[in-house]
Amino acid sequence: MGSMEGDALTPARPPKPSSFRRWWVNLYEGVVSTAQGMSITLRTFFKKPVTVQYPEQELELDGRYRGIHFLEQDLCIYCDVCAKACPVDCIEMDATRHGKELEWHVFTLDYNRCMLCELCVYPCPKDCIHQGEEYALVTENREDMVLDLLTWKGLTDEQKQKIAETEAAKAARDAEKEKGE
Amino acid sequence: MRTGGWHGWSQTLADAIKLLTKEDILPSGADPVLFRLAPALVMGSALAMFAVLPFAPGIQFADLDLGIYFLLAIASLTTIGVIMAGWGSNNKWSLYGAMRGAAQAASYEIPLALSLIPPILHFGTFSLLNATEQQSGWGGMGWYVFSDAFWVAIPSFFLFLTASLAENRRAPFDLPESESELVAGFHTEYSGLRFAFFFLEEYAAMFATSAVATAYWLGGWNFPGMTLLAEGSAWLPWLGALAFLLKAMFLVCVMIWVRWTLPRLRIDQVMTLGWKYLTPLALGLMVAAAGWEAWRAMP
Repeated sequence: MGSMEGDALTPARPPKPSSFRRWWVNLYEGVVSTAQGMSITLRTFFKKPVTVQYPEQELELDGRYRGIHFLEQDLCIYCDVCAKACPVDCIEMDATRHGKELEWHVFTLDYNRCMLCELCVYPCPKDCIHQGEEYALVTENREDMVLDLLTWKGLTDEQKQKIAETEAAKAARDAEKEKGE
Repeated sequence: MRTGGWHGWSQTLADAIKLLTKEDILPSGADPVLFRLAPALVMGSALAMFAVLPFAPGIQFADLDLGIYFLLAIASLTTIGVIMAGWGSNNKWSLYGAMRGAAQAASYEIPLALSLIPPILHFGTFSLLNATEQQSGWGGMGWYVFSDAFWVAIPSFFLFLTASLAENRRAPFDLPESESELVAGFHTEYSGLRFAFFFLEEYAAMFATSAVATAYWLGGWNFPGMTLLAEGSAWLPWLGALAFLLKAMFLVCVMIWVRWTLPRLRIDQVMTLGWKYLTPLALGLMVAAAGWEAWRAMP
């Protein structure tokens, strides 16, 4: 054993704790840390589980959830801005213009590629493309992942009712016009 | 639980039927005799342990004078089965698992047996039945952990539980299996019913060691209020068996609770804990218990 003060060749080291003392410290720490761990798991055991049994129960989604798109077809002006904004080029649309009226042929979104980034939603001048809370996209083949947005898919009952109201108002206006003529 | 009735209670039955109907696979290169014999030996020794357990007054298959001695001897037979399984599988993981199992069982059998000595000295008997009968005082609460030697009883109880975890290859001492490095350890090559036997053995042995701890430390079938029953009441065996099963199942739950909590140890940590901590502690407790009992017995 070197001297406690130390010199140039043998610098001073703190004295080693005796191994007998360390044995008791280890024993104490082992028992205490095991007891701590056991108390943590016991407390967690009596907590309500956070697991959601998915097919039976569903998570309540935040209003800003970015799920499957839905399109307010009568508002859309066929400007192609959403398709241009799409970074993965998954929106296809085609329509024929008859003056102010549009005759829609295609408006599809390919969910094989779509990453639900919402970049198509921001540039829309009519604010007619939205992302809903529907997220279950389970299909048996890839073709089924290409959804046709012209079928009013993903609209909530409220939105459907709103659309039905505007349709009815439009029909009433047309009828009045015809009367006037 | 989605299917299988209330909280999936029938899943266990379905699992047993599934394991029964699975194909019987013998790996090429495996030793056919050892491979087939190992699960039978392991399962048989686990079931033999139940023969000496005193479930209730009058409910015990055999009251041996050397009951605990028999139980320890039979319990160590499972290790032979583990080694046979590991060697017979002709698989490096199985062999590593079996070697660890052997090392662990050889090390922890010592503190396991030594931690049983304080209650044996206290009751002066190797018979589980006799030890249980001596704990019927204080209206059914004369358990060893509540006796005047409680200061030896409580540490030796925890020592016994710890050593029995290692003996039964339960977490944190499940090195013979250690899924993270040995696939499934000694039962890597086993499937179907033979695999089920290894698992059943593990849980049967857990229950048996818990039952020993119950019989020696927690009063066996004695429960508070048993003196209110009439002498020789027909209810006593039933309520006693219920008390015994509840206590033993509580200890099994504690073993499962330990599994939730503690991560698996390294093999050198297992050896350190066994030889440097549990064995000296068990020896010290043995000496303390012997001194206490000798002092008490002095005229």
